[in-house]
Amino acid sequence: MEKIIRLSLANIRKHKFEFVSLMILVMMCVLLIGSALSAVLGAFKIFPDAMKNTGSYENFISILKKDYDKEFENIMREHPLVEQISSARMLYGGIKTRYINKNGEQVTIPQSFITADNSAGLERPVIDTTLTDEEISKLEHWVYMPYVMYDSGKYRVGDTFEMICNTKRFSFTVAGFYETLFLGDMSNGIKMIVSDSDYHMLKDVIPEYVVLAYNDNQGQGGYDLFKELYDKFEEYSGKEIDKKSFYLLYSDMEYYISESAYLLLQIIVAMAIVIVLSVIVMIRFRIAGDIKEQVVNIGVLKALGYTSMEITVSYVLEYLLMAGLSVIIGMIGCFMLTPVLLRMCELIVEHRGCGSVSPLPIFLTGLGVLVLVGVIAFIRAIMVRKYLPVHAFRKGQGDHRFGREYFPLSKTKYSVHFRFALKEFVCNFKRNIGLMVCITISVVAVVFSFVVFNVFCNGLDAIYAITGIELSDLQVELEPSSDAGILAEELEQMPEVRKVLPTSAYNTIVVAITPDGNRGMLPLVFHDFDDTENVFPIDGRFPKHDNEIMLTKYDAKWDDIVVGDSIILEHTGVKKTYIVSGVTTAMAGGIFYITYDGIKRLVPDYRFDKVNIYLEDGVDVNDFRYLIEEKYSDNFYGSEKEKNGDFAITDIVDMKEIMSTQLVSTVFAVRVGVSIFMTLSAVVVMIILFILMESSVRQRRKEFAIMKGLGYTSHQLMFQLACCIVPSVIISVVIGTLISFAVIELIIDYYGKVNIDISGVIVLDIVILIFCFLCAFTGTRKIRKISVCELMTE
Amino acid sequence: MNSSILHTKKLCKTFSNSGTQQHVIKNLDLEIYKGDFTVIMGSSGSGKTTLLYALSGMDKPTLGKVYFGEEDISAYSNDELAVFRRNHCGFVFQSIHLLESMNVFDNVMTGALVLQKNSPELIRKVEELLIKVGITKEMWGKYPNQLSGGECQRVGIVRAVINDPQILFADEPTGSLNSASGRDVMDIFTQLHSNGQSIVMVTHDVRTAMRGNRVIFISDGAVVGEYKMPLYSKDDMTSRKDGLQNFLDRMGW
Ligand SMILES: Nc1ncnc2c1ncn2[C@@H]1O[C@H](COP(=O)(O)OP(=O)(O)O)[C@@H](O)[C@H]1O
Ligand SMILES: [Mg+2]
Repeated sequence: MEKIIRLSLANIRKHKFEFVSLMILVMMCVLLIGSALSAVLGAFKIFPDAMKNTGSYENFISILKKDYDKEFENIMREHPLVEQISSARMLYGGIKTRYINKNGEQVTIPQSFITADNSAGLERPVIDTTLTDEEISKLEHWVYMPYVMYDSGKYRVGDTFEMICNTKRFSFTVAGFYETLFLGDMSNGIKMIVSDSDYHMLKDVIPEYVVLAYNDNQGQGGYDLFKELYDKFEEYSGKEIDKKSFYLLYSDMEYYISESAYLLLQIIVAMAIVIVLSVIVMIRFRIAGDIKEQVVNIGVLKALGYTSMEITVSYVLEYLLMAGLSVIIGMIGCFMLTPVLLRMCELIVEHRGCGSVSPLPIFLTGLGVLVLVGVIAFIRAIMVRKYLPVHAFRKGQGDHRFGREYFPLSKTKYSVHFRFALKEFVCNFKRNIGLMVCITISVVAVVFSFVVFNVFCNGLDAIYAITGIELSDLQVELEPSSDAGILAEELEQMPEVRKVLPTSAYNTIVVAITPDGNRGMLPLVFHDFDDTENVFPIDGRFPKHDNEIMLTKYDAKWDDIVVGDSIILEHTGVKKTYIVSGVTTAMAGGIFYITYDGIKRLVPDYRFDKVNIYLEDGVDVNDFRYLIEEKYSDNFYGSEKEKNGDFAITDIVDMKEIMSTQLVSTVFAVRVGVSIFMTLSAVVVMIILFILMESSVRQRRKEFAIMKGLGYTSHQLMFQLACCIVPSVIISVVIGTLISFAVIELIIDYYGKVNIDISGVIVLDIVILIFCFLCAFTGTRKIRKISVCELMTE
Repeated sequence: MNSSILHTKKLCKTFSNSGTQQHVIKNLDLEIYKGDFTVIMGSSGSGKTTLLYALSGMDKPTLGKVYFGEEDISAYSNDELAVFRRNHCGFVFQSIHLLESMNVFDNVMTGALVLQKNSPELIRKVEELLIKVGITKEMWGKYPNQLSGGECQRVGIVRAVINDPQILFADEPTGSLNSASGRDVMDIFTQLHSNGQSIVMVTHDVRTAMRGNRVIFISDGAVVGEYKMPLYSKDDMTSRKDGLQNFLDRMGW
């Protein structure tokens, strides 16, 4: 055994640089896979842990107090699938509630307020605070917030929290934080615990709801159970329950939380796969190169009486030693990286609940990588078996220029260096395939990240453009019975307003009759779609006539409909046929685009109930919002004027701002993911090229010494060798770019169109090419150390 | 007459080069005796190296047999051959072939450890042998590319004999050395021989060949002549040289 270890160690000492490079690759491999796996397990525990820690109910139905009836609880209790029920009262402001964030900006987020007693009916809130009860009782208006306000909102105990509801402002002192699943995140909204007196004060401006909470054995009943209960409520009360009611189900929460955490982890796993593949290719290449360059040494060892197995084992041992070291470092890294990843997951899903790091996946990854490296090394190294010592001596150095003569130098037309490069490329075809695989994968990763980065992180305009909805500066939503026309005319007179467009607030549901069954769809209505600024047909054109509609790409794919097809729409028994004039992008389906005249055919008493306001340049959205809130303070929902039949404003909304608030965590995740992706790809490519060049130099040392003797300079030779990889890199860059386009195409096929910045991608490709060349060039620097004197023996 | 240690029966070695066959060794019968310093001579390309490789179990014959004592090594598998070589043979090469990745001492140890367990005695033996061939302590940590060819070859000889092989094979051991270094190296061979080491050496240099006590001349893949000399000594250099030269002339050298 000792003799074998000696061989391995000697080999390692000789190739320190490659050894370290490979170590880094293997280490990153273990680090990424190990911590990703461990974090996935942890992330899946966020939800159950949070559920357990908060003692939360599983499902929540919130009904406006005016629609609520005590009998609802009995209806729920009688259902066999419902295991436990409870109820509580809370105030819920929906999108009419805003707050001033730590940067002094107004942020719209659905807010709800609940008293401590009522909150105990939904969960067991654990308050995290640095204040004593006495100190809290001295505060005039205190509030406990969900942790998301600590993590994303950056609030701390003692801060002032200023909330806005319509024109009214309320100021609270933050007294503590708590974890809650029901209304504890930026997308669904945040639920704050306040004192009884504050609750009564807020009740005047924010509608009160009754929350019916029930357990159905971890989401067993699902949506069907909810629907059944809801229908029974309506049946019992004999009227429709207000659309402002809302629900949150176990399955939705679970899906949302695990899905978001998945996003980041998928990126990491994808990256790990890139690295694993590279490691495999590199180890194979390294051993093959090693054996080739060491045929003579192997011959000598064999002549001395070492068996093939012993030599093979010495190689395997060399790699196992390398892998073992890196696996240990990688695993230690895992224990440090996993908590960071878990914390990031928590930030992304906006809930806390991660326990400790689970060590099992980390150990398994380490073991797996070790075995993998061992097996590859063995399979590759066992090829020494083919050699009799005599082969080694007879072949010696001249191994790699047999067979056909490609690109004979006699036909050199331009530069002899390119000729050498081409020769080299063809002669090392197999090696180049490995290189191309690695670079292609990295290029796919980088180009894909680049496109995603462009969409998500270059301002949100690119995302707005694919939402499929019209985004104006401010939207005023009215009660369904109101007429938006009057309001629109009034607003248009204001000097700050550039344009107003009356439209629909999705209060009418139309049924589309399709071969796959009937589906509820919401109409987006305008007089003339040419006036819109954020809706773009990607196929066909806007609906112009009263028998035309436009669909989203999402729905068109779903129902297999193309431009020119017709579709039947139904509303309260009336059926009309429409022609699909165009298709547009949208993040999701369920909406269609139709002109005012068009919808009138189907819904004769249709009225616009929403006004899109476009402001002149330089007008501040929030200032303008105040202006109209003041101006129409008497027209708000529930006011005197409403009862007189005047139009009633329900909400004034800035959709762009709401979207940006909700996209914050997604943008954060994408940004982190993309940065990691790009950096790692670059590092991997760099290491691979270094290893490749370094061993090429070693393999052809004699050749280069001779070339130097012939009068080539070091730089010419370095240039020559670095050029060898250029054909492979060009091919990989082209293939990689095409593959990533295909992947992107596949993804966006469902959403519509993402404008890929082609010129940007081309520049990126050129940068990649130059980067690779520079890495290769740097990797060949050892040519400089080769001296002609090496040729002389004695 | 010493006892036979190695003999061949109708040894053939054929290479096929892109379709055409080249019969390098043809039905060669040869006996190597224990304690002899056998020199194989012949013109360039006559198959000397090929024969040496076949004799030493580095390569397998195309036809015919090679016996080590009573054992037919030509029937061995690759790994059995490796075991045979480590147990019985030592090698010195024209291009020396030290392991570039190891220093002088480790190069010798690589040869030693393939057969023996590491022990203080072994280390001492390596040290003694190195000093005996004139490789001083300062050089032990050096790498092959930091030594002169003569020094490397002396290390190569130590590596070859560290396991006390029954036969020491050498293929043109002075081929890449200048005459002074070559003489030093051959002095070591002479000394080894006088201590009873059996040696089989290929050379085409007359001065080197004079060190042996039996010269085999091969031509066109067959043994065409044999010449016996007394043990080497510095005194009868002229008569020795004339005798050998005479034999070679007859062979058409
Ligand atoms: N591996 C091989 N493949 C093909 N021909 C070979 C091989 N090894 C040796 N030869 C041929 O065998 C002949 C004898 O070679 P060799 O034994 O090296 O001669 P010597 O050592 O006597 O100079 C040469 O003509 C050589 O071309
Ligand atoms: Mg020869």
